[in-house]
Amino acid sequence: MAEYDMTLAVGVSSDTQRIARGLRQRDVTLLQALVEQYQYRLVRYLIYLLGRRDDVDDLVQETWLRVLERGQSYDGRSRFEPWLFTIARHLAIDHMRKRRTVSLEAEDDGEPQSPASGDPSPFVLAARTEDSQRLAQSMQTLDFIYREVLMLRFQEDLSLQEVAAVIGAPVSTVASRIYRGLRTLREQLEGGKHAS
Amino acid sequence: MQADDHAIMREVIDKTLAGCVSPEEEQSLREHLPACAQCQEYLNAGSRVIAGLGGFSFEVNPGLQAKVVASLKLRAEQLEAAQPSRRRMVWGCIAAVVLLVTGSAVAAQFGNLAAGSLHLQPNQVQRVLMAVWVLPSLCFALLFPLLPLLRNRKESVL
Repeated sequence: MAEYDMTLAVGVSSDTQRIARGLRQRDVTLLQALVEQYQYRLVRYLIYLLGRRDDVDDLVQETWLRVLERGQSYDGRSRFEPWLFTIARHLAIDHMRKRRTVSLEAEDDGEPQSPASGDPSPFVLAARTEDSQRLAQSMQTLDFIYREVLMLRFQEDLSLQEVAAVIGAPVSTVASRIYRGLRTLREQLEGGKHAS
Repeated sequence: MQADDHAIMREVIDKTLAGCVSPEEEQSLREHLPACAQCQEYLNAGSRVIAGLGGFSFEVNPGLQAKVVASLKLRAEQLEAAQPSRRRMVWGCIAAVVLLVTGSAVAAQFGNLAAGSLHLQPNQVQRVLMAVWVLPSLCFALLFPLLPLLRNRKESVL
């Protein structure tokens, strides 16, 4: 078992070193392979973060351009996914701030705010199982800080330390957000049976 | 079983699901669960939530990948064109070093001669040569090798 783990660790390390080398050289072929490999996961992360589908494609594109431009800062000593998600998160949060500023300015000007999109929640559209259908509405109302840690921990299978690195918060904060997010969704699933 | 014990066990269950439970807590949960239907139910509900999160399948715009790759290729070309070539950097560095050495030699050897013909003190001539020749070429000679480092630092800060 220990031997297997060691082989796995060496494999991961050589893979991340290869990615780091390619990013330093701005190797477009490598980037193309990375886009193919991580596209769905990046889209999913951004939907969890933003809670809507629009703007996600633009942010995906911006994220990959940022990867190309800042690729030299990835050292290959840790996994690629947390680094990628950190970049996407910064861009998404900037984007959310800009949207909020624009919306507040419109309010100050006495102009009506842009009407809420009539599109259904991306979670409702994406729910494929009975339980996910039950969770979909809560996912929409759950604050993004809980949605993103749940997604990173349970969908991306990142360690608590890796999630902490992505969101720039202590591990204890990540853990408490996971507990709180799980409790909220659990109550929704069970119809408030465990509400304390 | 006290209500407080259930509350404690629920915290342990949350920790277990999040993956940050200690071996002692895990052991106490293992001992507690078979005798407690409430906590079993709580654990099952948490596991169902995690499984439910895996039940979302988002659609990706089929044209997105091609769009991203095209923009990456374009940007890579722009970056390549904007970057000064390595050869130019090396020649710039060599030229600066040659100027530096020549300037130092002139300042050392011909300072006195120049001072005599211009009716100045030798150290005045040397100071002028240092200011207009040696120091600028030293700065350029140091700047060329340091330029990539400064650029990397700027990128990592941004």
